[in-house]
Amino acid sequence: MRAFLQTLIGGIGFGAVYALVAMGFSIVYRTMGLVNFAHGSVVMIGAYAASTFSMTVALPFPVAIVIAIVVTGLIGLVIERVLRPLEGRDFDLMLIGTIGFGTVLEALAILIWGATGHAVPSPVGSAPLDVFGVRVRAYSLVVIAVAAGATVLLALFLRRTKLGAAMQAVAMDPQAATAVGVHVGRSNAMAFAIGAGLAALAGGLIGPMLYVSPVMGGSLGIKGFAAAIFGGFGSIPGAIVGGMAFGILDSFAAGTFQGYSELVVFLVFTVAIMILPTGIFGERTVNRA
Amino acid sequence: MRRLALIPLAVAAVLLPYGLDRYAIHVVDVAIVFALLGIGLGLVMGVAGQVNLAQIAFFGIGAYACAILTTRAGLGFWVAAALAVLVAVAVGLVVAIPALRVQSHYLGIVTLGLALAFINWITNTPEAGGSEGISDLPVPPMFGIDLTSEHLFYYLEIVVFAIGLAFALFVVASPLGRRMRAMRDDSLAAGALGADIPLLRVTAFVLSGLYGGLAGVLYAGLIRYVAPETFSVANMFLLLAMVIIGGRQSILGCVAGAVALSLLREVLADFSVYAQLGYGTVVVLMVVFAPTGLAGLPRLLRARLSRHRSGERAELRPFTPDDPAPVQGGGDMLEVRGVSMRFKGLRALEEVSLTVPAGQIRGVVGPNGSGKTTLFNIVSGFYVATAGRVLLEGDDVGGVAPYRLARRGVARTFQNLRLFGDLTVRENLLVALDHTRTAWTWRYVALPHAVVRHDRALRDQAARLLDRYGLTAFADAQPRSLPYGIQRRIEIARAMALSPRLLLLDEPAAGLNGEEVLRLAEMVRSLRASGVTIVIIEHNMGLVMSLCDQVTVLSGGRVIADGLPGEVAVLPEVVEAYLGEPAYLSDDNEDAPEAAR
Repeated sequence: MRAFLQTLIGGIGFGAVYALVAMGFSIVYRTMGLVNFAHGSVVMIGAYAASTFSMTVALPFPVAIVIAIVVTGLIGLVIERVLRPLEGRDFDLMLIGTIGFGTVLEALAILIWGATGHAVPSPVGSAPLDVFGVRVRAYSLVVIAVAAGATVLLALFLRRTKLGAAMQAVAMDPQAATAVGVHVGRSNAMAFAIGAGLAALAGGLIGPMLYVSPVMGGSLGIKGFAAAIFGGFGSIPGAIVGGMAFGILDSFAAGTFQGYSELVVFLVFTVAIMILPTGIFGERTVNRA
Repeated sequence: MRRLALIPLAVAAVLLPYGLDRYAIHVVDVAIVFALLGIGLGLVMGVAGQVNLAQIAFFGIGAYACAILTTRAGLGFWVAAALAVLVAVAVGLVVAIPALRVQSHYLGIVTLGLALAFINWITNTPEAGGSEGISDLPVPPMFGIDLTSEHLFYYLEIVVFAIGLAFALFVVASPLGRRMRAMRDDSLAAGALGADIPLLRVTAFVLSGLYGGLAGVLYAGLIRYVAPETFSVANMFLLLAMVIIGGRQSILGCVAGAVALSLLREVLADFSVYAQLGYGTVVVLMVVFAPTGLAGLPRLLRARLSRHRSGERAELRPFTPDDPAPVQGGGDMLEVRGVSMRFKGLRALEEVSLTVPAGQIRGVVGPNGSGKTTLFNIVSGFYVATAGRVLLEGDDVGGVAPYRLARRGVARTFQNLRLFGDLTVRENLLVALDHTRTAWTWRYVALPHAVVRHDRALRDQAARLLDRYGLTAFADAQPRSLPYGIQRRIEIARAMALSPRLLLLDEPAAGLNGEEVLRLAEMVRSLRASGVTIVIIEHNMGLVMSLCDQVTVLSGGRVIADGLPGEVAVLPEVVEAYLGEPAYLSDDNEDAPEAAR
C-alpha cells in the first residue's frame, strides 16, 4: 500500500508537468486549430533557459523560470508569425512546419548548450518528507502546487479578462469574432505566447526531476500531446485529467514493466484513442457535409 | 519519347560506380535506401494523405527482422529477407488500424508513439541486442558475386530501387492512386463516390510497410549491423524533411529529396548540427512558400508567369442531353419512414417520412436549419439515423456506408462544393467513373496490363462525359481555379459519372446567376428523362416551383407539408415557416408563373 501511494504521488508530480505541457498544446489548438509539434522543443528550451539562469547566472529559481517564460513566449510569437499564412488552410502542412521548427530549436539548443546536457539541483531540500508514513519528495509537492496555481490563473484569465474572452471568441468562431472587432491574428499570437510560456514553466519545473538535454523535448512533448488528446483535445480540464492519467500510468508502468514502460504506455494510449477518439472531455465532432 | 530519355539514365546508373571510390559508393548506397523509404512515405502521406510518422519504424522492423532471423534463427539471408518484408507489411497492416478511427494530427501522434514504442522495444529486448544492436549479419549470397563489395551491392540496390520506383509511379497514375489522392483531398466526397475509405487507408499503410521493409532489408545487407539509433525519431524527422523538401505529392520529388538530403548530410557530416539547423529551416520555408516542394516548383513558376500573360478564356459549352431512357427501377425509389436524428440535445429531425416514386423530381424546401441537409446526410449514409428507417427500392439501407450506397446507385452533390482540389477536372470525373472495388487491387501486382486497359476505358468514358457536360475546355484545370458556376456543373457531372438511379442535389442553384439557373433546370429535366430519380434541396423557389413534381416542406426538423408545388406554397403554415414572410416565396423570376400569389 505504501509503495502504491509513493508511486501514485510520484506519478502525480510528473502528471502535473504533463498537464502543463498538455495545456500549452490545448490553448494553441482551441484558439487556432494548430497542433504545435515544436511544443516539446519549446519545453526543452524552457528547461535550459531556467536552469541556465538559476545555475550559471545564480538568480533565484522562481526568477529564472519567469525569464524562461519570457524567452519562450517570444519564440512562440516567432513561430506563430512565420506560420500565419497557413492558418486555417492546410492542417497537415502547419503540422509539418512546426516539426521543422522543433528541429531548428533542437539544433539551436545543441549549438548554445552543447549536446550532452546537465543535471539540475533541486531548489528545495532534497530530503523526502514523511506524510503519514509515505515518503514524498518535497519537490514533487512544489511542482503540484505551482502547476495548480498556473491552471487557476489561466482559467481566471480566460474567464475574467477581456483578452481571455476575445480568445474564447476566436476559438468558437474566428469570423464572428472578427465581425465584433476582435483582432484574430493578435489573439492567435497571444495564445501561442501563452502556450509557449506554459511550456517553459513545465520545462523549468521538470529540470530538477530529469536530466536537462537537447533531446528531452521529444518524449516530453509527445507524452504531453498524447495527454492532451487523451483528455479531449482543446479542453483545459481534459488536459489536466489527461496529464494526470499519463503521469500515473507512466509511473506505474515504470515500476511494473521496467525498461518496457514506454512501449506499454504508448500501446495503452493507442488502444485508448481508438476506443475514445475524442478523449474524455472532447466534443464529439460531426463531419459536416 | 519519354521512354527514350530513360536510356541515358539507365546507362548513367550502370556506369556510376566506376567513377566513385569506396566511401562515395557507400554514401550512394545509403542514399538509395533512403530513396526507397521516401517513396514509401510519399505514397502513404503525400498520395493517400495519412500522416504516418512510423515510417522509420517500418524500416527498422525490416532491418531488425532480417538481422534476428539470420543471426538468431540461422536462416539464410534471402529467406530471412523475404520474411522480414512480410513482417514489415504485417506491421503496416496493424498500424493502419488506428488510421481507421483517427486522422490528421491524432494519427500523427499515434504513429509517432508507436515508433517510440518500437525503439523502446529494440533497446530493451535481449533478442534485439539492446542498445548495442546486432552485428555480424551474413553476407547476402548471390551466385558467387561477392556482395561485401559495396560497388557490387549498388547494382542489387539499383535493380530493387528501379522496380520499386516503377511500381510506385504505376500505382499513383492508376485508378487506385487516383482514389487515394481523392481520399486525401476530401475523404467524405470520395466515400460518396464509391471509394471504400477504410480499405484504401489500409492499402496505403501496407504499401508504406512494403517499401519500409524493402529498405530495411537492403540496409541490413549493406551495413550488416543494426542498432537503435538508426531508427530514431530524429531520423524520422529527417526522412520527413526529405519528402517535404522534395515534394510529398510527387514520387519523383520524394526520391530527389531523399537523395539530395542524404548526400548533403554526408557532405556536412562534420557540421551535423548546422545541417540539422539548415534542413529544419528549409522545411519551415518550404511549407510556407512552396508546399508542393521542389517537384512543384516548375508548376508554381509557370503559374506565376502565366498570370501576367492574358490567354483567351476557355468557355463553358452547353450541356448535351442524354438519350431518353425508361425510368430505372419501378415503384418507390426512396422511402424515408419515421426518421429522427439527434445530436446531443439538438433534435435535427423528428419523425420525418417521405416517399419518392421512381422517375420523380422531388423538391425539399424549408428555412435554414430545418434539417434538409441532415436528411440528405442520412439518405447518403454519412449519418445513421437515431430512429426510423431508410429504404432504397424497398431494401433497408439504414447504417450502410456511403461508398456502398454509391455502388447501389445513390449519388449526391454538396451544399458547399466538395471537389477534389488537387485533382484535375478530368481526374475528378475519373474517380467517380471507376466502379471497381478496392479489393480488385490484387491485379496491380498480378496483372498490371489489365489495369492499364481498364484505365484506358475509363479515360474514354471521361472524355465523353466531359464533352456531354461541356467541360472539355477545363479538363486539365484544377477545379478551384474555375468560376463557381463551372464548379457546380463539374459536381453534377461527377455525381452522374456514378451512373446513379437516385441523385441527391443539395442547393445546386446556390451562387448561380439567372441564366445558369435556367440551364440547370434544363439539365435536371434531361437527367430525369434519362431515367434518374432526383431529390433536390433548394432555396430558389422559382426553380423549385417550375421543376419539381412534388415538394416536401421541412420546418424545425418536421415535415409540415407535402404535395404539388402550387398547392404547398399557399398553405398558411408553410408561409409562416418562412419567417412569416410571404414575399420570400414569391420574390422570384419569370420562370415561376405558378408561384404563390
